[in-house]
Amino acid sequence: MTALTVTNASVPGRLDNVSLSLAPGMLAGLVGPNGSGKSTLLQVAAGLLPSTGRVVWSGRDVEEIVVAERGLLASWVPQEARFEFGFSVRSVVAQGRFASGDDEHGVDETLRLFDLTALAHRPVNRLSGGERERVLLARAVVTGAPLQLWDEPLAPLDPKHGLEVLKHAHRLTNAGGTLLFSLHDLRVAYCLDFVVVLHEGRLRAAGPPEAVLTPELLFEVFGVRAKQTAGLTLELP
Amino acid sequence: MTSPWVHRFALPVAILLLGILALASLGIGDMRLGPARIFAGLLQRDELAATVLWNIRLPRMLVAMLVGSALAASGLVMQAYFRNSLASPGLLGVTSGGAAGAVVMIGLGWASASIFILPVAAVIGALLATGMVVLLARRGASTERLLLAGVALNALLGAVTSYVLSNFTLTYERNARILFWLLGGLEDRTWEHVAMASPIVLASALLWPLGRPMDLLSLGAREAQSLGVDVKRLRRSMIGLSTVLTALATAVAGTVGFVGLIVPHLLRLIVGPEHRRLVPLTLIGGAAFVLACDLIGRSTGGLRVGIVTSLIGGPFFLWLLRRQA
Repeated sequence: MTALTVTNASVPGRLDNVSLSLAPGMLAGLVGPNGSGKSTLLQVAAGLLPSTGRVVWSGRDVEEIVVAERGLLASWVPQEARFEFGFSVRSVVAQGRFASGDDEHGVDETLRLFDLTALAHRPVNRLSGGERERVLLARAVVTGAPLQLWDEPLAPLDPKHGLEVLKHAHRLTNAGGTLLFSLHDLRVAYCLDFVVVLHEGRLRAAGPPEAVLTPELLFEVFGVRAKQTAGLTLELP
Repeated sequence: MTSPWVHRFALPVAILLLGILALASLGIGDMRLGPARIFAGLLQRDELAATVLWNIRLPRMLVAMLVGSALAASGLVMQAYFRNSLASPGLLGVTSGGAAGAVVMIGLGWASASIFILPVAAVIGALLATGMVVLLARRGASTERLLLAGVALNALLGAVTSYVLSNFTLTYERNARILFWLLGGLEDRTWEHVAMASPIVLASALLWPLGRPMDLLSLGAREAQSLGVDVKRLRRSMIGLSTVLTALATAVAGTVGFVGLIVPHLLRLIVGPEHRRLVPLTLIGGAAFVLACDLIGRSTGGLRVGIVTSLIGGPFFLWLLRRQA
């Protein structure tokens, strides 16, 4: 059984007949130029945006799952969030347990995982962009939902926190979870299990990165020339 | 970040404050009553005090409290709904909608047919106004957009009210009633008004369980939906309850401004933004605020409560705008 199947999803002007499926335990990247429909596809997959197609999570049609239960099965992280009110970091992360009856299970551990313990009592409307992103990711992870859909989680993060988030992503998928996230760094995409390429609202290619991210495709979709060089490699100590 | 100490004592302190204000509201007036005489009067053991309390001061106090709770809670809900801490029933035109509904009924001379006509007309007017705000300013709209929608709506509904005032052949008595509505006041409130406003208690009780989901909604609708909040249903309840609360308050006391803006705002500064705490505190705080404003009005030669709340609320609002900028 697949963890996520999207069939013939169209959203007028944004997404054109996209189908894809992800196996459980897959760490998948969603790439494409600006405006190619990445955010739209993630919202459709999360059951948040109506489309003409069908979305199935682990064999169950999303339309047939009540909203309260959806919160236990999939988690979506927006590209950016505007926080009007000064909730504490901890209370926002704890919102991830709403569907589980607000039991606060795993909240403190997740705060630690995302390097937020020191900020736990800071109001979220006084955080930097990167700190805010970590709060959103922690809130999604603490739900325990097996399907995670993250919209550009790495963009606002510094190199160290970016690598840590990737480490958590691997941990999640090694434990049987499935993660699809959008990103712009093709070098990171190259290290994932699976890559989905969107172009002008259409699915251009999907598969293992070495098969998908060919120089021809990169040139055609992104208008860039790929070259293998010995560049800088970053890793966690 | 507010301390656990504040969280523990906020509610008892608010209740104590409300109790003191309630006692003052019963005691202060042309005939001053001390606590002992108030109790004697309430228990019908002091005939003169009993007459003053049961016929005049008690209904006025209860109406003031119900109106305050309703307007403050309505403001709290609208702020979460629009994700904007400057949203409130008065600024968005919902109060004007309720007033316009009531004024039209008075103008047509139908208001005296039944005590339910005014509240129902106010609810309809307020619902129409809310519908228009929701259309004009989408959720999460900028402060500018929200306030401009409110300005437009307030002007439009003000025109409706002026039309009724100028073009209907009105008796002096009807004109006086309409003016009463426009200024907002608690004079001559009777048990009939308490009965009219009593559904406020039910609406407030229905608000209670929405506290937690409102937390999630106030940080983004899609996010809340993804975390398991039935956003569509929650929004319907929120907009319905806040509109009914404002309309009922307006039906019994006219347009009393700024309560829905000031009370939730101050309480948020004191206890933080979590709605499970804010809902009960706002209900109590709103009641206390309107009681206090009524007391100020009564002890300064009979200033109407709507004028007092506006005299406090106007500068407060300007301060908030400056702070936001």
